[in-house]
Amino acid sequence: MQKKDNHIADPQEIIQWTRRYARSRTIYFLVQWCLIVFVICIIGLVASLTQQAYVAGNKALFYTSVVFLVIAFFFFMWISVSQWTAELVWQVTQWFYGKEGFVSPDEKKRSKTLPRWVIALIGLMLVYHILAALLISFRYLSLQYLQPFSAVALVPVLCILIYYQDLGFWAWLWPILYGLHAILLLYGFPISFPAPWHLLNIMIPIFGYGFIAILVGHIYSRYALWRLKSITRQGLEEYLDKEQCEGQKDTR
Amino acid sequence: MSELDRIIHEPARLRILTILAGVEATDFNFLLNTLGLTKGNLSSHIDRLEKAGYVKVEKSFNGRVPHTEFQITPQGREALENYWKELDRIRNINPQGEDNT
Repeated sequence: MQKKDNHIADPQEIIQWTRRYARSRTIYFLVQWCLIVFVICIIGLVASLTQQAYVAGNKALFYTSVVFLVIAFFFFMWISVSQWTAELVWQVTQWFYGKEGFVSPDEKKRSKTLPRWVIALIGLMLVYHILAALLISFRYLSLQYLQPFSAVALVPVLCILIYYQDLGFWAWLWPILYGLHAILLLYGFPISFPAPWHLLNIMIPIFGYGFIAILVGHIYSRYALWRLKSITRQGLEEYLDKEQCEGQKDTR
Repeated sequence: MSELDRIIHEPARLRILTILAGVEATDFNFLLNTLGLTKGNLSSHIDRLEKAGYVKVEKSFNGRVPHTEFQITPQGREALENYWKELDRIRNINPQGEDNT
């Protein structure tokens, strides 16, 4: 029997690093998240406008801003299900990872659009945030409690999204940091922006923690790819050189 | 004593199949970039694996760009598992030819 040593690392290690790399290619989720944050920003601005209109007693502006809130909600539903969003996400992903090639960790991550129940859940989360915006507008809720109020809905939704989309270990940083921020705020830690920057108390945690988690995931994917390349190429280059030399000898 | 699978025993093919065992699908670029093989070399190895029924090749278009995906077949997965089992068994045989397991 030919007993040639293939110098291959532990196969389980190659399998593990391939999976880790495939799962931590998080940039596509950043595109989805930017779209979600964009709508949340619109809602925040419209809610602020509603509040100003209510205080000023400007009924026309008040009803107009409520109409805009509803439009923002339908716009959000559209970007969640439209083929346009799926294509945009695909294009950005290709732009980022095109040179590295395509890799799909599993079937569920390959589907271009989210399933309906996940979209419905995100829709409910948005309704919850519109409700919070309205409660703030009518002064039933203080703006400083908006982030903890938001965390009650956002943390479980994020957990479902991360689990469903199999975003990898580092993505869990996101709901953890967001939840932790809410707890610290409730305990009175001085981590909030003063007036007139109150809106940043929700915008920065929503976008910032997501961005940190996605970025850490992306950096980890660079490391995973480097590890994967080193362990798969270990011994292979020598073998290929030897093979090439033998091939040249044969042709002489 | 059973023989090691000659198709899998080749180092480049062994690595291709091991990578494919870790994911649902990959494309030509990913394998090329990860393994550092030449295009011709990779093509011929994929061809051998496909002919053996270990890899499924699926050709499609992303818009106008051709896209080729590779997946390990259940037969390929089984062959890879058997290969590692067999290799472990060989490693456990001592110089006197006795099986240490």
